[in-house]
Amino acid sequence: MSTTYDQLVEIVTKLHDAPQDRIGPDVTFAQLDVDSLTMVEISMRIERDLGVPIDDNELQEDLTLGATTELIDSKLAQ
Amino acid sequence: MSSTPDRPFGTPMPPPPSPSGRAAVLCGLGSWLPPRVVTNEELSRRLDTSDAWIRTRTGISRRHIAEPGQATSDLAVEAGRRALRSAGTDDVDAVVVATTTPDRSCPATAPLVASRLGLRGAAAFDISAVCTGFVYGLASAASLITAGVATRVLLIGADTYSTIVDPHDRTNAIIFGDGAGAVVLRGGRADEPGAVGHFDLGSDGTGEELIMVAAGGSRQRSTPGEADPQDRYFAMRGKEVFRHAVTRMTASAQATLTMADCKVEDIDRLVPHQANLRILRSVAEDLGLPPERLVTNVESVGNTGAASIPLALADAATRHTVQPGERMLLTAFGGGLTWGSCLLTWPALSRIDTPHNTGGTQAS
Repeated sequence: MSTTYDQLVEIVTKLHDAPQDRIGPDVTFAQLDVDSLTMVEISMRIERDLGVPIDDNELQEDLTLGATTELIDSKLAQ
Repeated sequence: MSSTPDRPFGTPMPPPPSPSGRAAVLCGLGSWLPPRVVTNEELSRRLDTSDAWIRTRTGISRRHIAEPGQATSDLAVEAGRRALRSAGTDDVDAVVVATTTPDRSCPATAPLVASRLGLRGAAAFDISAVCTGFVYGLASAASLITAGVATRVLLIGADTYSTIVDPHDRTNAIIFGDGAGAVVLRGGRADEPGAVGHFDLGSDGTGEELIMVAAGGSRQRSTPGEADPQDRYFAMRGKEVFRHAVTRMTASAQATLTMADCKVEDIDRLVPHQANLRILRSVAEDLGLPPERLVTNVESVGNTGAASIPLALADAATRHTVQPGERMLLTAFGGGLTWGSCLLTWPALSRIDTPHNTGGTQAS
C-alpha cells in the first residue's frame, strides 16, 4: 500500500480508537464507528499533515480508507 | 486591535509601538452557577442520546440550568457580587456585561445589573460577541481604563442558553449550560501580576449563518408574516463551526503570541472558550502546547457562552491549579463569526468563592 494510505491510517488511529485488526483499505469510516466530528478532525489533519484541502462534504462516513487514499492522491497529483 | 480586513487570515502583525507601561490589571474574580444540574442521564431520558454519546463527542457530563423565570441579570448579579468581594471594593465606575441572552432586546442588561449591585451612576453597557464576548469585553474594559475613562471596571460574562436552545434539539441541548463569571479590572502596570494585554480581535460576518437565532431581530420583524417558530431558537452548523473554532482560535492565539514577542513555551496555561473538549484539545495540539497546560471545566458546566472563560478561571483558581505569576493565553471563538485572544499574568487574589449557590443540587 502507498505511503498516503499509511499516513491516513496513522491519522485515523491517532484520532479514533479503532482496533488495529479492523483497519483495512476496504473498511469504511462508518464501519469503524467514526463519528461526524471525528470526520472533521480527520479532514483537518489531512489538510495539515499532507497539505491537501478537503471539504467537510467530501469526506463522508461511507467512504472506505482505500477510496479516501485515492481522493487524497488525486488531489496531490493536481 | 490587530485584525483588519486587509490582513490575510493568520498573518502575524508586527508588534505594536512600545506601550507606555500602563495596563489594566485583573484584581477580582467571581462566578455563579444556577443550582439546578442537568446530567447526561437526565437528557438521555427525554432525548435520543446517551451519556457515552455526549461524552465522546463533547467531553461534557453535566451542566447547570436557570430556574423558570430566572434571567441572565440574576446570574450576572451573583457573579458580579462575588467578583467585587474578591477585589475588596464596591467602587467601580463602569459595568460591562458580555451576553448573547440579554434580559430583553431593549434595553441592555448591564444598567440593571449595576443598579442591583448598588453601583449607582456607573457607566453600563452590554457587549454582543456571542462566545467571544468575554475576550471582547476584556479588550473594551481594559481600554476604558487605559484611556482614562474609568478607574475600575466590573466585567461580567453571563448567559442563559437554556432560554434560546430548543429543549428538543438534541445537538444543542447537550452542549449548552447557563452561568456567569466576572472580573474586576483596575489601572496598573503592564509588568505586574494581573496585567492583561496584547489583544488580537477579529470577525468574519460572511459566516453569520453558522451560529444564529434567525428570528426576533429587525430582519424578521420587518418581514411580513409570522416567523417560523423554529427560527426563534438557537441554531448551529456543527461541523463547520468545529472547523472554524479550531483554526480561528489557533491562529488568533498565535497572533497574540507574535504581538507579545513570546513563544508557546512561555505560556503556562491556555484558557480557551470552553466550547467542547475536542475543540480545546485540537487547539492545544495545533499550538504545540502540552495537554496538561490546558485549563478546562467543560465537563462539569458545558458551553456557557460568554461566561465560559471566567468560569474556567474561577474553577482553576478555587482548585489551586493556577499559581500567581503564571502566564495565561486566553482565546475564544463564537458566532458572528468572531474570535479573539489576549495574555493575562495570573494575579494573587485574596478570596474566590465557589461558583455555587449553597444548598443547591449540584453534583459533587
